[in-house]
Parts: sequence; structure tokens; C-alpha cells
Amino acid sequence: MPRPSILRGWFLIRRDLPHRRRLALTAVSFLLPVLLWCLVSYVPWIWHPDVKIELSAEREGVTTVFTAGDHVSRDFFPKFAEAVRGENKALLAARAAGKPESGAKRRNQKLLRQIAPLAVDHGWLAHEESQNDAALYQIWRDLASGAKTATRPALTAENLDIIRANWQQLSALSPEFSYRKLPDEPLLKLIPQGRPANPVYLPAPDEVLRAGLRDFTADAPDGELTMLQRYQRSLGIILWGFFWSCLIGIPVGILCGVFDFFSKLFEPFVDFFRYMPAPTFSTLLVAVLLAGDAPKIALVFIGTVFQMVLVISKTTRLLDPSLLEAAQTLGAKPKQIVTRVVIPGIMPNLYNDLRILLGWAWTWLVIAELIGVKSGLTEFIETQGRFRNFDRVFPVIILIGVTGFVTDQFLSWLHGLFFPWAGRSGAFSRSVAGVVTWPFRMFAAASKERLPVSRPPGAATPESDSP
Amino acid sequence: MKSLFRLGSKALALLALSGTLHAEPLKIAYSDWPGWVAWEIGIQKGWFKEAGVEVDFQWFDYVPSMDAYVAGKVDAVCMTNGDALVTGATGKPSVGIVINDYSNGNDMIVGAPGIQSVKDLKGKKVGLEEGFVEHLLLLTGLEKNGMKPEDVTIVNTPTNETPQVFGSKAVDAIGAWQPNSGQALKTVPGSKPIFTSADAPGLIYDLLAVSPESLEKRRDDWAKVVKVWYKIADYIRDEENLDDVLKILSARVKISPEEYEPFLKGTYILTLDEALKRWEKADGLGSVYGSNKVVDAFNVKFKVYEKAQDTEKYLDPSLTKEIAAKK
Repeated sequence: MPRPSILRGWFLIRRDLPHRRRLALTAVSFLLPVLLWCLVSYVPWIWHPDVKIELSAEREGVTTVFTAGDHVSRDFFPKFAEAVRGENKALLAARAAGKPESGAKRRNQKLLRQIAPLAVDHGWLAHEESQNDAALYQIWRDLASGAKTATRPALTAENLDIIRANWQQLSALSPEFSYRKLPDEPLLKLIPQGRPANPVYLPAPDEVLRAGLRDFTADAPDGELTMLQRYQRSLGIILWGFFWSCLIGIPVGILCGVFDFFSKLFEPFVDFFRYMPAPTFSTLLVAVLLAGDAPKIALVFIGTVFQMVLVISKTTRLLDPSLLEAAQTLGAKPKQIVTRVVIPGIMPNLYNDLRILLGWAWTWLVIAELIGVKSGLTEFIETQGRFRNFDRVFPVIILIGVTGFVTDQFLSWLHGLFFPWAGRSGAFSRSVAGVVTWPFRMFAAASKERLPVSRPPGAATPESDSP
Repeated sequence: MKSLFRLGSKALALLALSGTLHAEPLKIAYSDWPGWVAWEIGIQKGWFKEAGVEVDFQWFDYVPSMDAYVAGKVDAVCMTNGDALVTGATGKPSVGIVINDYSNGNDMIVGAPGIQSVKDLKGKKVGLEEGFVEHLLLLTGLEKNGMKPEDVTIVNTPTNETPQVFGSKAVDAIGAWQPNSGQALKTVPGSKPIFTSADAPGLIYDLLAVSPESLEKRRDDWAKVVKVWYKIADYIRDEENLDDVLKILSARVKISPEEYEPFLKGTYILTLDEALKRWEKADGLGSVYGSNKVVDAFNVKFKVYEKAQDTEKYLDPSLTKEIAAKK
């Protein structure tokens, strides 16, 4: 039986696949990791060694307080829940014996707040109102009467019973929240609830998405930067570092590529220096340039410029020698050869080099932002990572990745636009290039027409002789 | 002539006044210990302005805050009485003018699962900041259990990095204070505190340590700072304010108020009357003077520094006593 046509022709030896298939594969290359991530996150019987606490309780006499969102191991969680159950049992026993504890108003107030994360998740309470006791009191009432039902997570029957029992005591004293009218004897605690989860360093995609949305849209607390401002600051460091590096690296690289004099004068030292890891200079840079962005920019510069000199000198050397010979035959002086032949000749490759070196500069960002006073996106990654809020760390890492990828793709597309004669360029970018360069071409054509008139005959420049 | 003189004196007074108005703010370095984060209440509520003193509180990690003090970048630093001696012996002396609190359990040696007591530490690695307060706590714990300092290997670790280092299992125990110790306990399930400052209350007093020059030059301003402190202490000790206090303190170190609440028990904030008792000269850990003597002897014995310090010079209760007298 012949295979259907969709399955045929995927594995061609050293031949390009049709355009549509290539696009499809590109999409799949992104979808595969995401799919894998979803699989590990959402299929309950794969991995999931932890329990993510959705409803927490405090234990008496223990300083470690777990809050909703914390991860604990699967072995520990039942012990945790059992400890709280034990406290409830002891409480009931004391009550039955007629000797309940007293002075538990504060404990009860905290106990009321046990349901705050649940209420926030269901949209019954705004995020910043999780200590609004009056509103929480009403939610207890609604949960007890059944006017509100929790769905994610649903409360266990055990907890619903506790809510009803507690509400009976609470409502007997006051229908509205009032600290003074809280029962003096302790109420029953809700039993912790949780759901299976992967370790805290691998949050599920939806958690990452939600945390990212919240962080990127939220206003920053006083004295801190919003995510957009952090992003701008990080971009600034990269771009300035790269700019200074280009300012030095490109001319030196070209000179080394053309003249053996400069090559022997600079390259051995550059070759030696680039093996010294840029981060080892960080304390030195801070001492010299003080705090602020300057040492960070300098680090990106040091990390990039030496590679840049070597890469560009190599690119320059690879220029087709016949072009140089032709220019020399036509009597070009060394300065003319550099400006009229070498630079235009290496331009397409130089552009590609810079594109790759910009990617190289990005790798220094994180280290640069850690030196001196921590700043930008990295400071956020650092602080949140320290508190194990990895769901908030991932969006920022992804943002850096996306920025790098998109810039690179865009620059690569521009390559086709700037240098249509070198390499491939799609029909679309050719037409854009046509539109963008139209005024220049018109201008050039017009000036060419005028050329013979304004010049003495026989003094044509070498390139105007080329067809 | 007389009026001219009066004008002149008025101008002088004005000048003097403008001099004080334009005085540099007092620069104070503080870090994440709950008793020092408490200054944040005074900052946020504007109590320093109310008291007529310009302050500039600068947030540091603990050891860098002492480095900044030694380098003369700040006029005062929040440190423990023991670390004030260490800083004095190796860098720059200071004078403690406020006792914020004594550590009552928040400083801990946390052992990994399987390490049940200090005795189990024999031959193990402990991550802490060498030569500073948690080192003192560990050595005290070892001594109380009849062990020698050589029985454990110290891995020099910045306190705020201890949770990660502990989580990576590179060490078997750490020495840290809250919120770092709590973070470590959460990071490694089954770990537990094996020796805390509650086992040696009064070993660790937390002070505001001022540089002697600054105290001499601007004593009046420092008196105002001390006064604000007792306002803060009273505010914290009033149960009614608990939620507000927790909100301010926990936000500074970026954890939730619920998690922060147990820390208040481990940091015994002293009111004016309680502080006066601790300022009395006496032997033993009940007095800050006694504590200093104990710590100094300890530091010399374990070669944290070479020469015994004149411990009384590190303390000046006069500002607190003046406030108490005016009351």
C-alpha cells in the first residue's frame, strides 16, 4: 500500500524541504518543548513529587509557617495535615472536658484569614484585601450557608463541617466582624488542602503565564521599578556596551585584517586578553567606575570587544583577493582600497558578524547586572529566585530569550534588505527593499546622468567602470 | 547701638539654626534582623521628621553593613553587641546607644534531616559567617555540649545565601537568623533548629552602634533618634498594632505577614523600662555589660581577635537614661 502523500518526501538528503513544510517544522520545534512542559505539568501521574498547598494552617509552637502556594514534599504533607487535625482533636477534648483555652482572639483572627487565598483565587476578594477581616467574615458566612461554593479547590467535606461549626460559634456572638466580639476560646482550624505539584523550580505553564501577566502589568511598590523600566535599563546596558564595543572593535578589526602591521601589533594581546573571563574584572570595574551603570556597560564591552576584533579581522581576511588585485591593478591607493573595496566588500559578512556578536553581548547581561548595585531584570530574577518564586522568574527569562530571538530574526531579515546581492532574500523583503531604496536609486541614477558633464573626460573612478 | 547688637545676635541665631537645618542627615546602615527592620516603622510613619532629626537609613546585607561602617560611609550601624566588639577589635570601635532587643530564638543553628542535636554535628560542615554572631552561637552550643570548635568544619557563607547553600546539601547545618533561617527550614523539609538563641538568652543583644565622633558632635540628634526608638518599641508591643507592624516589617524583607508573625516571638523587643534593666552593670547575660564581658572572653579564647577589649567603652546608656528621667 502506498504511503499517503503527506508522509512522503520529508527526509531528503541534502535538499531543502518545500517552504510550507519548513515553516511547519519551525513551528513544531517550538511546540515540542512546550508540549513536553505541559505533559509533565498536567498529567497527574507523571512525576509530581510535591504538594502545592492551597489552603494552609498554622501549627502552634512551630515557627515555620506555610502559606498557600508553598510546596512541601508528598511525604510531609499528610504529617502536616495530621498535626493540624491533632490540634483540633485536643481542642474538642478540652471543650468536652469543659476546660477550653482562652485568650485566643488573635489566633481566631488568623484562623479566619485561612480562607483568604481561596477567596482571592475565586475573585471574592481583591489581591491586596487578603487582610480585610470584615469581608472575610462575610465569606465565612456565605461558605457556611452554602451561598458561596468553592470550586478550585473544592473544600473537603471535613473542612465544610469545620466552617459550619465555627460559623455557628461566630454568628452567635456577632453577625459582623469585630475583633472584640471574636470568641475567646480557640476555633477549629481548617485542615490543610493541597494538590500534587512538580517541584517549585518547574511551575506549570499557566502559573508562569499568570505570574508573568501580573508582574508585567502591576505597578511597582514605592522606590522600585516597574518591569518595563527594568527592561529598558537592561536593554540600555546591552546596547551601550555593544555600541562602545563596535566603536573600537570594528575599526581595529578591519585594520588588523588588511594590514599585517596592525595585525601583529594588536592581535597577539587581544588573543591573550580574551581568555581572561570578563567577570573577573567586575570588582575592579566597580572600584574604578563606581556604582551605577558604568561598570556594567564596561563589563559588556570587555566581554565583547576582544571577540569582535578577532572575528572582524578574520572576516576581512576572507574577502575575495581577486577584488583587491583588481583594485591594485587599477591603481588604487591603500586608503582607497580600504574605503572603496574592503569595507563595501565585507559589509554583508560584517553585518552578520555583528548580529552574532550582539547575541554574545546578551550573554554578559546577567553577570553585568549583578555587579555593584544589582539592577534591571537580573535584580528581579535574583530576588524572586532567592524566595523560590520561580513562576515569577520564568517569564523574565523567557522575555530575555524572546528579545534576543526576535532581534536576531529581525536583523537577519534586514540583511536581505540591505544586501540583496549577498545570500538569499525572500520576495517580500526584496519588494520592501525596492520601496525603501527607491529614492536613493532615483537619486543615484539622476547623479549618474549628470556625471559626464561635471567631470573632465577620462577621470572615471574604478567602481563606475564596473558593469 | 543696642538694636544693632540685637539684630546681630538674631542673625547669628538664624545662622546657627540654618546650620542645624542643613546638617547632613545621620546615615544609619540597617539589615534584615527583625529588631532592626523595626526602624522601618519610624521611617514610614515620619516619626524622625516629627522629632526634628534628619536620618538616612541605608539598607544592606549584614556583613556589608559593618564594612560600610568601618569604611566610614555611614555614621552608625545596627549590629549585635558581640559583632560590635569584633568590628571594634579589627576595624573601627563604636558605641551602642540603643538596645533594640535580645535574640530569643531567631538566631539558630539549623540541622539537616538526621541531625537531631548539637552532638550530631561532630565531623560535619556548618555554613555560617565566620567570626560573626552565628559563629558565636555555634561555639556556645558546642561548648555547652562539651565539644570543641575543631569538631566541626566551618564553611564561610553569607547569611542571606545560607538557605540556598543548605538546600544544595553542600553543608550539613547552617547558622542564620530569621528570615533566612526560616527560609532554610522551609527549603529542606525535615530540617530543624538544633540550637537557638533561646537556649542562651542574652548572649545576643541587638544594638544601634554609633561612631564615637558622630556621637560627640551630634549628641542632641542621636538623643532624638533614641527617643523615636522607644516610640517604635511601644508601638510594636501594643497588640492592637500587630497587623500594621507585621505588614511593614514583612514587606521590607519581602515575605508574607503570616510568615513573619512567629519572628516577633524570637526577637524580644525591649520597652524603655525593660531596656533600663538590661543597661544596669552586672555580671551574667541578663545585662548587656555582662553579655559583653562573656562574649569578649569567648572571642579571645577562640581567637576571633587577639586582645581583650575594654567592653564598657562600647556602651553608652546615658541617652536612654535621660529619656527615662524626663518621663
